[in-house]
Order: sequence, then structure tokens, then C-alpha cells
Amino acid sequence: MNAKVTDRLATLCFILCAAITAGTLFSLLGYIVFQGVSHIDWHFLTADASTFQAGGGIKNQLWNSFYMLLMTMFFSVPLGIAGGIYLAEYARPNKITAFLRSCVEVLASLPSIIVGMFGMLLFVNTFHWGYSVLSGALALTIFNLPVIIRVTEDALAAVARDQKEASFVLGATHWQTIRTVLLPAAFPGLLTGIILSVGRVFGESAALLFTAGLSTPNLNFGDWNPMSPQSPINPFRSAETLSVHIWAVNTNGIIPDAKIVAAGSSAVLVIVVLLFNIVARLVGALIEKRWSGK
Amino acid sequence: MYVLTLEKEKRIVQPNPEAMETELKVNNLNVFYGSNHAVKNVSMEIKKHAITALIGPSGCGKSTFLRSINRMNDLIPGAVCKGEILYEGINLLDASVDVVSLRKEIGMLFQKPNPFPKSIFDNVTHGLKCAGIRKKDVLENAVEESLKLAGLWEETKDRLKHSALSLSGGQQQRLCLARALAMKPKVLLLDEPTSALDPVSTAKIEELLMSLKKRITIVIVTHNMQQAARIADQTAFFYEGTLVEFGNTRDLFENPTHTRTKSYISGQFG
Repeated sequence: MNAKVTDRLATLCFILCAAITAGTLFSLLGYIVFQGVSHIDWHFLTADASTFQAGGGIKNQLWNSFYMLLMTMFFSVPLGIAGGIYLAEYARPNKITAFLRSCVEVLASLPSIIVGMFGMLLFVNTFHWGYSVLSGALALTIFNLPVIIRVTEDALAAVARDQKEASFVLGATHWQTIRTVLLPAAFPGLLTGIILSVGRVFGESAALLFTAGLSTPNLNFGDWNPMSPQSPINPFRSAETLSVHIWAVNTNGIIPDAKIVAAGSSAVLVIVVLLFNIVARLVGALIEKRWSGK
Repeated sequence: MYVLTLEKEKRIVQPNPEAMETELKVNNLNVFYGSNHAVKNVSMEIKKHAITALIGPSGCGKSTFLRSINRMNDLIPGAVCKGEILYEGINLLDASVDVVSLRKEIGMLFQKPNPFPKSIFDNVTHGLKCAGIRKKDVLENAVEESLKLAGLWEETKDRLKHSALSLSGGQQQRLCLARALAMKPKVLLLDEPTSALDPVSTAKIEELLMSLKKRITIVIVTHNMQQAARIADQTAFFYEGTLVEFGNTRDLFENPTHTRTKSYISGQFG
């Protein structure tokens, strides 16, 4: 076989691999959206879930998903960015740092169901927070923290060394350099990474089964007192998210239209995650463009 | 050597460098990168308000030498500097030296123009803001003054809010110079500042350096021997980490005492 033929075969092989990846994605997305989109209407998005009758909606589940997401990000973004800055800028290259870095990697690869079990033991049982938004958000924080740390460290490491040196030779301190040069330059990458992790958190179910619970109290969207048990923003009430709802309806749902509700919910979930990804790309490209001076 | 013939007349009116005051006195400087002995026992006196050029083949330790003056080697893990660099009676290598204030007095310019992806104005004010200067009129005056010194004011005065990345390579390098000058440094270290620039931009930078040396001590690393011959009062030739020869530029280029200097400046290796 001569070099040209090999080259062509290799190219063909790579194109095939890419086509399989793209094909899988599109058929999966197409199937889910096609199956579910016809069930999505205003009523479905804004009605309470029903327990045994047909025609229930996903209002509370959708709200819970977003609320849980917000709280998770509230915990994991500042912590993760601080950890990433430490690893990228302050940690000396020694055994302790290497150990810390492998801890982050192990944490990132923990099965989410294990994180859920741990969350149940610690937050639900030991701290007596019960199945709650707070327990769920903290479990998701464990699950999301390594991702944010990694994204921050990589984004900071990707900033060209000459930018850092340029700031140092002007008599800037390390922190001034991080704050005014490194973080702004790392921001597009950081933001893209965070938004992508948002998609993962939004779709997570296993870690929430034992921490946020499978039910939601009758939420009263007129009651915004965080201590009231029916308040949508009470962090100590149980909260079934959209992805947990899909699992619950499919496995032990007794409503006659379980298939329809599951299909509709899946489509909503997939569309939201897709939107997060598209927004991540657009925002990243926009900032890149603004800052490169075009 | 013919490189100097064009400049000879100009040089005659210049003061004899050896009679000038010393700004930096280097005694037995040794720099190690781990097990690599990059600068070996270098001693030299850098004259005040003069241009000192450091020449030599790649990897000869001249950049490392330069970066040890403003302690930029501190950023490299495993780098160790031993010896003395005396500046105003202080050993700059001493652990008690505040590197932040040191770098305010001893500025640096790099090979590749490295403006921040911010506006021209913000680039010039970066060092000043980090030093705690917030007053708008002070910053505005500093920007105008520094850009004028760097010969960039006329080209940029109407677009100070534009991104620095919209400037050409030569303009970017002059912006980096303006940014360094805004700190009013006493010494300016330049690490091959024109090697990424076209001849016209190079000539502009050289012209600027000649006018700046009235108030600033300049140390320049260069690969371009004509450049050293054109602008430097004194020249040091480095080879494999050692300082082979150091003296008045004219003497070094016209009557090198070492054979290695001779073969380097005549282009036999490098």
C-alpha cells in the first residue's frame, strides 16, 4: 500500500468516526425532541404534576431544577474558581500539589450515585436537613466543584506567559496581576466551561434521588417567605427536579399518561441543556471578539 | 569591521563611557536553572545614563543575566541567583528586597510586543493603577507624557479608548515602551525589543532609546550586532554563560581582544 492510499484511508476513517458521533447525537436528539415536543404546551409547562390522573404538568419540577441549579452554582462557582486560582497560580509544583490535583480528578470521576449516597448520609441524616433543596445543591456542588476547579485552572494556564510577565515588570503584585490581567483574559474560557457544567448539573438525577427527594410540597408561588414550608424558595423543603421526575414517572408512576409526561419532560430537559450549550458558545465567541479588538 | 564606519562621526561627540557613573554593579553573578549553570561568575559595571548592549549566540545566558536584574527569574521554578547586583548600595538579589518596588524602578521590555487586550489608555495606566494612583487627571497626564516619550502620541491621541490589539506590531512595541516609561523607571531592561519588528519600526525604537538614555540607564539584549554597534555605549559579549569581553562598543567591535569575540562579531558563528 503506498502512502497516498494510506493517507486517503486514514482520512476516510476519521470522517467515518466523526459521522458516527454526529449521527448518534442527531438521531438521539431528534428522537427525544420529536417524541416529546408535541406534548409541550403552555399548560404542560405551567400546570402542577398530577399524582394519578392524566394531564399533569411539570411546573414545580421545572422551577426546582432551576432553583437547585442556581443554588449549586452559588456554592460551586466561587469555591471552584478560588481552588482553580490556587492550583494554577499559588501551588508550588511539589508532591502535595500533585496529590491535591489527583484528589480533584478522583472527585470528578466519582459516580454521581455515590455522591448522592454520601450526601444523604452527611446532609440529610447527620445535619438533619432532610430531603431538601439545600442537601441536593450541596451534593451537586461536590459533583460540580472539580469541574469548575479544572476549568479555572486550565483557563488560567492558557493565558500566555508574556501577559503575566508584562504585568509583573510594571510592578504589579501577584494578586493585582491575577485580578486585572489573568482573570479577564481567562474569562471567555471560564464562562464557557461554567455554562457547560450548568448543563451537566441541570440534567443530573442520580445524586439527587437521595438528597433532594422524589416529591415536592404544594408550592404556593405567591409566598416568597423562605421559611414558609410552601414557599418556592424555601431551601429546606424537598424538591423533585425535572430529571428526577422523568426517572420517577417512568419507574413508579401510576398516572395513565406517564409515557407522555416522560417524553415531554425529556424534550424540555434536552432543549434547555442544548440552549445552555448554544449560549455558552455564543457568549464565548462574543467576548473573544470584543476583547481581541475587532 | 565596517559596521561602525557610518556612526563614527556621531560617536566622537559622545562622552567617554568609562568616565561615567555606575548604575548597576554586578559582582560574581551565578544563575542556575536546576542543574543548568546558565550564568557563570559574571562581574560588570553598567554605566548610568548609557546604553549597554549584551550580545552573544542563543543560549549564552544574556537574557538570563538581564532577567536576574529585575528578579524576573523568581517566576521560574528552580531558578537560583547567587552573587551581587548592587543598585544604589542595595544588593537586588537579597531576599529582603521588595520585588514590586524594585520593578517600578527597573522596567522591562520584551522581544514580542505584549500589550494587554485592553484599551491603549488602560495599557499605559496599568502599572500606575497597581501602584494605587486613581486620580483621573494624573493618569491622563501620565498617558499623554508617556505616549509622547514613546513617539506614539500623534498616532493614538484620538483613539485612546481603542483596543491596543488594533495597533500594528511596531506601534504595540512602542505602547509597551510607553507603558514602562509611565512608571518613570531609572533603568530599562530590553530583551531583544526589535527582533519581531520591521526595519522602520526598529529604527524608530532605536531613535527613541538614544533620546531616552539622557534620563534612563538602558541595558539591551540583542541578536543584531549592527544594532549594538549603532546605539550602545558599551557592549558585553557572552558565551556559554560567561562574560567573555566587555568594553566600549567601539573597542569591542574594532579591536576585540578575544578570538571568540572576533569570530562572533565577524559572523563565523551565532
